[in-house]
This record gives sequence, C-alpha cells and structure tokens, in this order.
Amino acid sequence: MILSVACYDCHSNNTRYPWYANIQPGSWWMASHIKEGKNGLNFDEFASYSNRRQQSKLKSIVNSINNGTMPLSSYTLIHKEAILSKEDKMSIKNWANTIKDSLELRN
Amino acid sequence: MKALIFSIALSTIFFAACNSNGTKQATSETTDMAMNETAATADNPLKGIVTGYLNLKNALAKDDDKGAADAGNGLVKVFDGFDKSSLTADQAKIFADIQTDAREHAEHIGSNAGNIGHQREHFETLSKDVYDLVKVTGAGEKLYYSNCPMYNNNKGASWLSETKDIHNPYLGMSMETCGAVKEELN
Repeated sequence: MILSVACYDCHSNNTRYPWYANIQPGSWWMASHIKEGKNGLNFDEFASYSNRRQQSKLKSIVNSINNGTMPLSSYTLIHKEAILSKEDKMSIKNWANTIKDSLELRN
Repeated sequence: MKALIFSIALSTIFFAACNSNGTKQATSETTDMAMNETAATADNPLKGIVTGYLNLKNALAKDDDKGAADAGNGLVKVFDGFDKSSLTADQAKIFADIQTDAREHAEHIGSNAGNIGHQREHFETLSKDVYDLVKVTGAGEKLYYSNCPMYNNNKGASWLSETKDIHNPYLGMSMETCGAVKEELN
C-alpha cells in the first residue's frame, strides 16, 4: 500500500499521471524522471531480476529510505501523500530486509 | 488490507526466488570444479576487472570521490568489453549473473562524484560481486578479503585488497587502518 502510493508512479508500469502531465515542460520533465526511475528499479520487472540483483535492489531501497533520497523531494512537493512517516519508513525497511534475508538463504 | 497486500507481494517474490533456486544450487556444485581448472592459467581473464576494482578501492580509501568516479566509469567499460570466450560454460553463466549487477554498481559510482557516501554503499555490494567472481575464476594474483566491522552502524563490510595492510575504503582516512584480513585468495 505504501509502495503503491509513494513509489509506483516512478518505479512501476502503473504511473498515475497528474494534471501537469499534459502541459510542457511538465510532461517532458516527468517523462525523464519516470524513465530514470524505472531504469533503476521497476517493481513490475522485479521478479525477472536475478537473485543477486533482487538483493541489490532491496539493499538500495533500504539505503535510499535511510538517506532520505527517496521519494524525491521534487515529487513529494506535489504529492503530499507520498511523504513517508516514521512508521512508513520502518515498515518498508522491515519488508525489504525480510525478503533480502530470505533471498540470501537461497543463495 | 495493508497486511494482505504486503503478504501478496512477499509471496510473489518468494515464488520468484524459488524458481531461480534450482539452477543456483546446480551451478554452485560445478563452481568448485571450474575453480581448479583455471587455477593453473597464468593470464587470468579477470585481470582487467580486478585492476579496475582495486583502483576504485584505493581511491575510496583516500577519500577521493572523483578518482572513484573515474575508476567506476572505467570498470563499466571493462565489463562491457569483457571477452567471455576465455571462460568455461559454467563460469560464463555465473559471470553473466554477476555482470549485470556489478556493472550497475560501477555505473552508479561513476555518476556520483561528490557523494562518496553513496559511492561506498554501492562499493559494498560491488565488492561482494567481485569476490564471488574471483572465487569462481581465480584472481590471477594474491588478494586479501578484509572486513571492517564498524562501517554502516557496526553492520560491517568487506572488500578485496592487493595488500595485507589495511587501507579502509569505507571509512577512508578518518579510520584508515580499521579492519582485518579474513581470507587470502589466489
């Protein structure tokens, strides 16, 4: 639930396009961000990543939440619902770490 | 509702992990055999990768983010131009798995001059990748796998070095000698 609200716009194939997607330069600016976001991590393609790459991505998720680099501040500026509370951050990190640990055991 | 979605997501990924599990185990058995085969080879196919990695490691140990970025970009080129024909079929398979991941980390390090903390995060995973590669093909030179227990809130992290002396790439000059050799590789 948190992931879909705060992350999926740029990290999945299910982008909910906002009003400014229809006007320039909003649309150009957004398209480049989404392309970059999906390139780095796409939840819809996650299952096709190798075990090694899945672990890498989960680790990066935890790091980017810890560092506060994600969600991008330029994104949360407009999408207030994507601002993560302490609890949100905690549950995303726990979720990512749990899966990462289980993937590690399968190595 | 929240819990339900989480558990669905979780089980999807478990499934994906199960699928790849079978092949993983099969390859790890053949890895040991492959290692013995290449141990005798003088000119190691991994030389370029190991050299690029060590350049990166040395730049990070000196807190040199620009040097690290250059080394990262150099490593991307080495991965792209790598000649897989010198690897056995089993080695090539493992290499392909590691290459995608390692190349991506090198690329991030290359594009993050000015953010050495982030470069070091990627370096940690890259180190594991290169270590796993070296375990499969041999390094062609003496390497030391060292560990710093303090990095990342005492979670610790490891790296490969050409020297037995510790020059910590995670904490840099502030804690230059923090760490210990855990394993010697050839």
